[in-house]
Amino acid sequence: MWQCIGLVFPLLLAAQQPSSTGFFETRVQPVLRANCIPCHSDKNLTSGLSLETLESIQKGGNRGPAVKTGDPEASLVVHAIRQTGDLKMPPGRKLKDSQIAILEQWIKDGLPMPEALRKSKRPGANHWAFQAPRRAPIPAVKNQAWVKNPIDNFILARLEKAGLEPSPEADPATLLRRVSLDLIGLPPTPTELDDFLSDKRPGAYERAVDRLLASPHFGERWGRAWLDVARYADSDGYTIDAPREGMWLYRDWVINAYNKDEPFDRFVIEQMAGDLLPNPAQAQLIATGFHRNTPSNYEGGIDFEQYRVEAVADRVMTTGAAFLGLTVGCARCHDHKYDPFTQREFYQLFAFLNNADEVDKEADRKDFNKPFLPVGSPDDLKRYHAWEAQLQLLENELNQYRQSIPGTGSILDPGVVERERHINDLRKHMPKVTRALVMKELDHPRQAYIQLGGDFTRRGANVEPGTPAVLPPLDVRGRRPTRLDLARWLVDRRNPLTARVTVNRMWQKYFGKGITDTENDFGVMGERPTHPELLDYLALEFMDRGWSRKAMHKLIVMSATYRQSSKGRADAKAIDPDNRLLARQNRLRLDAELVRDSALVACGLFSEKLGGPAVYPPLPPGANSVTQVKREWKTSEGADRYRRGVYTFFQRSAPHPSLVLFDAPDATTTCTRRIRSNSPLQALTLLNDEAYFEFAGALADRLLKDKTTGDTQKLKEGFLLALDRAPRAGEQQRLLQLLAAQRDSRREEKAAWTAVSRVLLNLDEFMTRE
Amino acid sequence: MTKEDKAVLHATRRQFFRDCGAGVGKIALLNLMGERAFAIGKDHPAKIEHVIYCHMAGGPSHLEMFDYKPELVKWDAKPAPESYLKGKRFAFMDSFSKETPKLLGTRRHFRQCGEHGMWISDLLPHMAGVADDLTMLNGVATENFNHGPAKLFANTGSIRPGRPSIGAWVTYGIGSESKDLPGFVVLQSGPRGPRGGALLWSSGFLPTAYQGIPFRNVGDPILDLSNPKGITGEDQRRALDAIQDLNRLRLEDTSDEEIKTRISAYEMAYRMQTSGPDLIDFGQESKQTLEMYGAEPGIGTFANNCLLARRLVERGVRFVQLYHTDWDHHDDIVGPLDKVAAEVDRPTAALIRDLKQRGLLEKTLVLWGGEFGRTPMGEVREKGKIGRNHHIDSYTLLMAGGGLKHGITVGASDDLGFSPAEDKIEVHDVHATILHLLGINHLKLTYKFQGRDFRLTDVRGRLIEKALA
Repeated sequence: MWQCIGLVFPLLLAAQQPSSTGFFETRVQPVLRANCIPCHSDKNLTSGLSLETLESIQKGGNRGPAVKTGDPEASLVVHAIRQTGDLKMPPGRKLKDSQIAILEQWIKDGLPMPEALRKSKRPGANHWAFQAPRRAPIPAVKNQAWVKNPIDNFILARLEKAGLEPSPEADPATLLRRVSLDLIGLPPTPTELDDFLSDKRPGAYERAVDRLLASPHFGERWGRAWLDVARYADSDGYTIDAPREGMWLYRDWVINAYNKDEPFDRFVIEQMAGDLLPNPAQAQLIATGFHRNTPSNYEGGIDFEQYRVEAVADRVMTTGAAFLGLTVGCARCHDHKYDPFTQREFYQLFAFLNNADEVDKEADRKDFNKPFLPVGSPDDLKRYHAWEAQLQLLENELNQYRQSIPGTGSILDPGVVERERHINDLRKHMPKVTRALVMKELDHPRQAYIQLGGDFTRRGANVEPGTPAVLPPLDVRGRRPTRLDLARWLVDRRNPLTARVTVNRMWQKYFGKGITDTENDFGVMGERPTHPELLDYLALEFMDRGWSRKAMHKLIVMSATYRQSSKGRADAKAIDPDNRLLARQNRLRLDAELVRDSALVACGLFSEKLGGPAVYPPLPPGANSVTQVKREWKTSEGADRYRRGVYTFFQRSAPHPSLVLFDAPDATTTCTRRIRSNSPLQALTLLNDEAYFEFAGALADRLLKDKTTGDTQKLKEGFLLALDRAPRAGEQQRLLQLLAAQRDSRREEKAAWTAVSRVLLNLDEFMTRE
Repeated sequence: MTKEDKAVLHATRRQFFRDCGAGVGKIALLNLMGERAFAIGKDHPAKIEHVIYCHMAGGPSHLEMFDYKPELVKWDAKPAPESYLKGKRFAFMDSFSKETPKLLGTRRHFRQCGEHGMWISDLLPHMAGVADDLTMLNGVATENFNHGPAKLFANTGSIRPGRPSIGAWVTYGIGSESKDLPGFVVLQSGPRGPRGGALLWSSGFLPTAYQGIPFRNVGDPILDLSNPKGITGEDQRRALDAIQDLNRLRLEDTSDEEIKTRISAYEMAYRMQTSGPDLIDFGQESKQTLEMYGAEPGIGTFANNCLLARRLVERGVRFVQLYHTDWDHHDDIVGPLDKVAAEVDRPTAALIRDLKQRGLLEKTLVLWGGEFGRTPMGEVREKGKIGRNHHIDSYTLLMAGGGLKHGITVGASDDLGFSPAEDKIEVHDVHATILHLLGINHLKLTYKFQGRDFRLTDVRGRLIEKALA
């Protein structure tokens, strides 16, 4: 039936208006094809404009609609080709008057075009990542005995096809160390190892996994990975780089969300738009700190609007990368070169995020970094709100006074000076609360517009909030699309990207590379997944299991694929040099924070304390002398000296060197994967840094504590503490030799055992997840 | 380099190329010190091998030192003409918007120096003495009128944080000659650190091995270069030998090439420990040399850093950056400018002379200048004093070294110093030219990140042909 109409309808049209479409085909189209379409096609979309179809012509480009149907005088295109204003088309030459007249006539006639040219086609729309995940049948495999869960079917099927055997399971001690480092970011203690090795009942490994998933350290480990994405830091960045004292509330919110396995869809909605939920709880407001992690500039003489725009653009790019795995930032200055996203669509996303009640002019400088959410005891909050009210009162009064005096309210008027002094004094006496940085929507949204060339001073067409057309449509619940609608759209089951992107990043942490290696580019230039059906299986499982991250972590670490030995294999290397088929596990150097955390656990100084304000472990002298404003580093005392790396204060202009040298991100833009470098400066840190020398000394003390044990026993204990295994003969002999040489040159046992401990903490194995 | 190092470097290099060739950001094994073996490679024969970038942080007044504007002197204290202000954006707009700012002619005496008559003021007598080795760029334009973003722009080609700095790009592109010092070193002097801090020498999305390594003015130049307290050289060597032996056993066990790289990294770390003290031992310099720079061992002055820069370049370091702060003269363009100019004048000239007498100048580029210049209008913040605001449309940079036409001035500003009068020289053009001198085509030095091939010069950058020999 529909097909019939599709055939008959254009015929009817053609019959009714023979001259018009004929006019288009014989007169208009040749002019457009020769002069306009080369740049303004559905494919090239220069300045966002395509003149190929009726739909695209009516929609227009970055400067707004190209044509007002029936009215050439009000049509931008006509002014451009007449070359009467700033915009002159085609560039560098002019159409003949007769050609201009043809286009004017066509516009006047109401743009008659053949049916086939009425709708735009989206190139790239059939790209794999834009299609909904599909549940493929679980592949059959020959070696069914190896399989522990469906992940293994997908992996083994490919291996068998390539003629490769999977590797045997890693030995139990290695496996426990691996899964501990992966799930909680800490190595097992000798007791935990012993418990595991002596648990001979079936299901010992699963019990260990369940114990680790229930540990509060799980949130610290995996929360840190999310903080990379959130570009979390404890200071403002740019020039002044003052501390953001309450930002840790957001960090703790993240850790907590992981620990209680908050479903990922809620996790996303609360961070993107917790403030727009009905009666948001305090935690849901703190969650919106996600998009307040953008660096902020307030050096003297700036245009605040410029940096606000920068922050919003960063939020758009971060949203694209974090959830959709897309490089939407490419469309900030021009249409995306490869993916089907226009510059207009970038600013439609921008429009969702453009309405926060932030500082956008010099007069607001005093409220820099607003909006805040004060957090504290009820009494503290009462005092804070009273203070706030008092401040507001005084400011209103000052404004009234200003209006009452003649002239423009001179800054030299004694009444003004006195009142301002009063206000400034009061500001200095803010009652003690912790202020979280949160999102708060303006009552009247700012008008978003296309920024021509990505420059906010060059206004293009106005745009309203909207999502990219190539992806499933947005559900709008209210009058106008809001940030909350966008948040819900991100985790809508119909969205083909968010679940895939998220499980791919989990996989990446466990195997070093994602199933799609380009974890931040699921667009057409990204790598195709090595195991597409597995990626879809995991994405669908993730959603079907109520977006539970712990369920997915468990699924992955329970697989035989994950449990394989990481030992190199010549046969596999010949066939699959990069180990993309996973005939074995990969050895991975620990993340920056984990190098520190592991050393703390090994030497026994580790502080278990969770959460709270950032801490200041010792900083090598001079390491923060590079900042414009001197920032005091008040080295923490007591247990706070030995907290996990995730709690170390992150100063953007001078981050702790032991973090950045081990590839912690610089927290300026979203980071979806850490690079793993291997440099002499890392060696210098582990060999010589005050902190690591202290750890080595503490490990030596630990070994020396039991006066009854001999050297070999002590060595064994040292190996257990640092590496969760006993030394092999060659290793033992070599370290006994070191011990003897140290004793020869020095008397003190502490020094000799410190030497041994330094060796242990510097081994490749120590800083590697096997 | 030992035989083993070479084997490791070779293996790593193959890995590196294979990974890069395969696609996006896949660098599994990274370079150790930006050594040449890892370099992506040069595009054409290089004119120079090293860069010393003296960044005068805060925005030095080119109108007091280099860009002589007699017309501006003539129109001193007159309101700035509307036609010159139109379309321009300035810092502290609100104070400028109250009344039309007044022009400010320089009070300094200018004279023409050297064979080609380069204009330099009496603030810089020593630098005037090396005018024939300088190449002056006038009418340079940048993009942002605030210190932090403008500094990012001067270093990374973007006002947004997160992009790699020029030193990182260069060491990523062509590595370094030094085997026991970082390829990109940052030195700092002046009353405070530069605005932006570590982001200015960041490796951005490039591997962190290419980030600038700040050297400290007191104690060890590099963090953690000395053994821990109480550990002798012998202790250290012994511990290191045991580490290496155990790592070799592990390598046999796992056949993971990354362990080879780690072994090599530890060996290089040890070599750095030995060469570090030698690097900063100014006792090896003659009294005459120390006097020429005005260097005094043990204090963190610009003079010391200039001498250290020469010693770094001698040791093969690819990119040395010096920051000297305190050039932001809003309220007083007289006394404070005298002071900071005197701090840098003599050491800068000494650096150029010293490099030249050692035959190093022809293979080194010295770049000298700030993130922007200062306005032709005066700024009054305090009664009785006058300064200048930030100016981004036209300012001056100096170059010296190989591959350049010496003693000449390229580019010009208009009569009042507001805008370029000839071809505008953009910061991206300066970057393109520096890369060109190093043998790198700026269009080809790219890195794929978030779906896009990024480059230092973004979508711009033209060679400053007139400055090239």
